[in-house]
Amino acid sequence: MHRLTRVLLATVALTLLSCVVALAATAPTGPASLAEKPATNMLLAYGDVDIWDETGQIIKKPANGDKLTKSDIAAQTPDPLEGWNRMWFGFNDKLYFWALKPVAQGYGAVIPERPRIWVGNFFHNLMFPVRFVSLMLQGKPDAAAVETSRFIGNTAFGLGGFADVTADSKPYKPIGSTEKDLGLTFGYWGAGNGMYLVWPFIGPSSARDTVGYAGDYFLTPISYIHPWYWSIATKGYDKINEVSMRIGDYETLKEASIDPYEAVRDAYLRNRYKKIND
Amino acid sequence: MKKISIILTTLAILACFCSAALAGEPQDRLKSGIDKVIAILSDPAMKGPAKRAERQDKLRTVADGFFDWRELSRRAAAEGWKKFTPKQQDDFVTSFSELLQKTYVRKLEKYNNEKVNYLGEQIADNQAFLKTQVAMKDKTIPINYVMIKHDQWMVYDVVVEGVSLVKNYRTQFAKILSRETPDTLIQRIKDKIAALDAGKNVDDVAS
Repeated sequence: MHRLTRVLLATVALTLLSCVVALAATAPTGPASLAEKPATNMLLAYGDVDIWDETGQIIKKPANGDKLTKSDIAAQTPDPLEGWNRMWFGFNDKLYFWALKPVAQGYGAVIPERPRIWVGNFFHNLMFPVRFVSLMLQGKPDAAAVETSRFIGNTAFGLGGFADVTADSKPYKPIGSTEKDLGLTFGYWGAGNGMYLVWPFIGPSSARDTVGYAGDYFLTPISYIHPWYWSIATKGYDKINEVSMRIGDYETLKEASIDPYEAVRDAYLRNRYKKIND
Repeated sequence: MKKISIILTTLAILACFCSAALAGEPQDRLKSGIDKVIAILSDPAMKGPAKRAERQDKLRTVADGFFDWRELSRRAAAEGWKKFTPKQQDDFVTSFSELLQKTYVRKLEKYNNEKVNYLGEQIADNQAFLKTQVAMKDKTIPINYVMIKHDQWMVYDVVVEGVSLVKNYRTQFAKILSRETPDTLIQRIKDKIAALDAGKNVDDVAS
């Protein structure tokens, strides 16, 4: 009961906070769009006009000299703290190769893939409050309702969320992606990224997503585990379980890129932009 | 009345079949390429570390037949392309495509019977945009292909989870070219290939 009240209070506080942030963020800049901003970085504008953007939407006659999609504009998020960010990028890189990856590999060698998927399901199910609040704040009650029924179904009939029993049940009408967090919600409201940031342990982020991440913290049930080190340990375990399913992805990106820092930055910003609109 | 409804139903069913069967030229071509890759990867005779070199050779031949490396490189270099001399352009295409083949063919080795679904295509003039989805064990990954037809349909960009391959490199190259010469850029690509060839850990590869 006590915990529930705290989560509820956090939700209310967050809603207020996020409104303020969204107002502050939208007022000076306005939502990024194709026609508004001229190409500041001419090196990014190129000779050929793309017919489609990243999602297959036809780009409607870009204005003269303006050949950037909205995703391009998101990717141009300023990086004033580049040196600082590069330092933490290097730190996270070493953290991955020296600690996270070996541990995840050992863990993956002992635990077969199927139980690891179950653990992933469990943690995903537990993050329901983040998705629910975000969808509600985005004015998508349909999607929030579907997400709620999935949560109830998986918790009650999926052994507390270990089995994803609702994976095959599709809603009657399409509802779009329900994988939302508060950073994506602010983006959905029109807030820009502000600036690109890299945090130790957390990884790539932006000013907007940092505020969102702080909010998500209060909506994550695991954050309320007492004492705090068990909370951290649980989050660490979730991370290792997740990494054990994705070993090789970061390696490929790093191997294939000429400047891994820039490659990760571009991929993060574009991927977040896509998720806002999913 | 009944007859009409039967005819209508038949027509409707036929229309369904036709639309499924009548995928456009670009999709047929992309599908034949992906099918070839899957055939190589699931061929029991080609499995195992002993066959690694042979397998990767075959995969690269398939990739060469389906990727328009020049178009891809030109778009990745973007504004920089015009500043390259013709020799630098050729050099750039060769080394850049080599880097992509080396790294992404290696990645294909992880293939584990994932299924590729074709979700539709759009065609405008000599370009096409194709949506596909790869079903992994615990999630599906959206992968879109952009193709262009010079002689035949060739892929020049791959968009994974909203991240365009060409544009990801464009960001990197633009940054490098704003400070360094085209020759340095080409040299950096070659250095990266050499480092990968030398079997250096990705951990050590310059960041």
